[in-house]
Amino acid sequence: MKWLHNILEVFREELHNSIFDEGVIVFFFIVPLLYPLLYAYLYSNETVREVATVAVDNANSATSREFLRKVDASPDVDIVGHCADMQEAVNLVHKHKAYCLIYIPSEFDNALMSGQQAVVELYSDMGSMLYYKAVLSSCTEVSLAMNKDIKAQRLVGATDKQVSTFNHPIEYEYVPMFNTQSGFATFLIPAVLVLLIQQTMVLGVGMMAGEEREKKRRGILEPHVLDKTPAEMLLGKALTFFALYAVVAAYVFCVVPRLFHLIQIGQWQDMVAFLFPYLLACIFFSLTLSGIAHNREVFIIMFVFVSVPLLFISGISWPSCSIPHFWKVVSWLFPSTFGINGFVKINNTGALLRDVRPELIGLWIQTAFYAFTAWLVYYRSYGKHLKDSIEVAEEKLQARWAEYL
Amino acid sequence: MNPNDENRSALMRVMRREVLRMLSQPVYVFCMVVAPLVGYLFFTTLMGQGLPMDIPIGVVDEDNTAVTRQVLRNLDAFQQSEIVEQYANFGEAREAMQQGKIYAFYYIPKGTTELALSSKQPEVSFYTNPSYLVAASLEYRDMKTMAELASGAIARETLYAKGYADDQVMGVLQPIKMEMHAIGNPGLNYSIYLSNILLPAMLMLLIFQVTIYSIHSEVKEGASKHWMEMANGNIYRALAGKLLPQLVVWIVMGAAYMVVLYAYWDFPLKCGLWPMALNALLLILVSQAFGVFLCELLPSLRWALSIATLWGVLSFPISGFSFPQIAFPAPLRALSYLFPLRYYYLTYVDQALNDLPLYCSWANFAALLAFMALPLLLPNRLKKCLLEYQYTR
Repeated sequence: MKWLHNILEVFREELHNSIFDEGVIVFFFIVPLLYPLLYAYLYSNETVREVATVAVDNANSATSREFLRKVDASPDVDIVGHCADMQEAVNLVHKHKAYCLIYIPSEFDNALMSGQQAVVELYSDMGSMLYYKAVLSSCTEVSLAMNKDIKAQRLVGATDKQVSTFNHPIEYEYVPMFNTQSGFATFLIPAVLVLLIQQTMVLGVGMMAGEEREKKRRGILEPHVLDKTPAEMLLGKALTFFALYAVVAAYVFCVVPRLFHLIQIGQWQDMVAFLFPYLLACIFFSLTLSGIAHNREVFIIMFVFVSVPLLFISGISWPSCSIPHFWKVVSWLFPSTFGINGFVKINNTGALLRDVRPELIGLWIQTAFYAFTAWLVYYRSYGKHLKDSIEVAEEKLQARWAEYL
Repeated sequence: MNPNDENRSALMRVMRREVLRMLSQPVYVFCMVVAPLVGYLFFTTLMGQGLPMDIPIGVVDEDNTAVTRQVLRNLDAFQQSEIVEQYANFGEAREAMQQGKIYAFYYIPKGTTELALSSKQPEVSFYTNPSYLVAASLEYRDMKTMAELASGAIARETLYAKGYADDQVMGVLQPIKMEMHAIGNPGLNYSIYLSNILLPAMLMLLIFQVTIYSIHSEVKEGASKHWMEMANGNIYRALAGKLLPQLVVWIVMGAAYMVVLYAYWDFPLKCGLWPMALNALLLILVSQAFGVFLCELLPSLRWALSIATLWGVLSFPISGFSFPQIAFPAPLRALSYLFPLRYYYLTYVDQALNDLPLYCSWANFAALLAFMALPLLLPNRLKKCLLEYQYTR
């Protein structure tokens, strides 16, 4: 069982290296500890309520006042001011005292009296889509409710039931499933958590590999590597990162959602069975990428900037049906794509393991593929190649000694 | 040579040295040219026309009559929805939603048509999955419109039968009507909403990192003394010589994203080019200054870079361009003012979308200028680090 002994020896060394390297601690522990808290706290209100809105009521009638009162009472809009004219109202919007504007023209009542359509104009600052959504949906709800009453008055002589049937020959009901308040945290945080695992691992592992190469260039070689095969080195390291990230993942996926009361309706067995290949794929992906890390820091700069694109390419925010084919193929290179999609399905919608089969297969294929490429990287740096070059160097040295003597 | 000329030529020497460094290390070419351009290309091609088209949705039509089929055909005709599958029952549709095959579905129970024709008010339902927020909100809009239209179509028939004229019908069906104006982005284009901040934010992140790397890597390589000597021992001259050549590249990259956004995609730029060009220039300068400040504060490449990375990545959500700042918890609302991107975003809204006079954005510009002055706080600390610090690892 020489090989097992060797793997465990690498495991011990690497564990020691990662726990005592402050740079690695930042990426392996501090970032996964703090970032989820910060993000979840940032979005903890889930959606924007009481968007400051100004009103210009040129009709100034009982109906228009009723409309504004009801809009003000709705949870998403807060009417912070009534202005005499548009100019004054627009000024308030420009000063960011308000984000939306409701304008009721003076013809409003005439139109209502004469049986025409009465128009209410809404304006929204487009600095955020959520302002728009808040004012439009609140005003629409109020107008639908008021329309019912107005129609009842117009259908003279009709019974209540007739009026109701006329209003809505077909009733409809809207049900947002799984994220029942259409909240931002429920939608974004699970994806961020999954991505965080991959990104911090790539950065930490890359940093360690860069460190090792820097040492090697300065002629320092860890003594324990010489009697190991590349496969033993690889498995030993993989084991280290798996052990560390099992702890990180337990915190990120079990503790954080509970702290912030995020949705979590998946079966834990499914969750574990899915996250296991995700961790493996991330580990071998990181070990492969670490092959290009020639020094500690360059690697960080080159990899951090892809975090945001990776979040978008996963299909969680921009729907994957609308992602151009080319980028979709690119996205399959990253474990995070399958990881985010599968995890969101299990965690948010309660999907079973068989429902995420495509993602699961994708992750296992990635695991196999990146394990192979990582082995190639290790073969090049620790394998025959390296030992040969060390022998060559030693021969040269001896030759020079011989010459010198 | 008089001292002025001497100083000028020292500056030129440092600048030449920096250009050679930038050309000799691939990390500079990658982070200053390749990465930004790939990023611009990525976001603008990803979101293309700015609205997702043909989002897959499903249908459970237990009624399956000529009327319901007509309603569903109409829904399919909406640009943003595509009915990809009919499911036999609710459970199957829910499973398809859990598998991510569809983002929403319509449920029409048995007997809907019959009840509707006999004026007994049947009820249909539509379900969305806001775990995918963008797709779900767009689907909500389409499905709600469809439900209103279907309802309206039947009511309209009733009114025609009672002898109402065309122009009276809408007055009866919908006495009060909302007319929405989205200032600056009437098409609700998501690319306008997101790319306008994502591209500069990415550039900012790269500037943070490259600035810090280019300063502290000198210490690591043991070249910082040489660098300071070349600048005649003046820290400002040393920094200027290093950062000016980089600034030229950053300005080109800043101009590149403005070309992509405002010339190629023709996104709204109501204020004209110059206010936003000024905004972009300030963001670039602030990013460099912030990088220098972190170098002063943290005399270690690793730590300065780690903090810059965290600050840069956190800038994206905390600037409030997607989830608005007014909805943050109070402590984070306060914290957001420590992020330069926040001011860039505010100016962008004022200028490019709302077309305010330039002076209305003075507070944002002032804040950015204050950030720019940060490196003046601790220059000697950095100088000492460059001259004395030994890289230990």
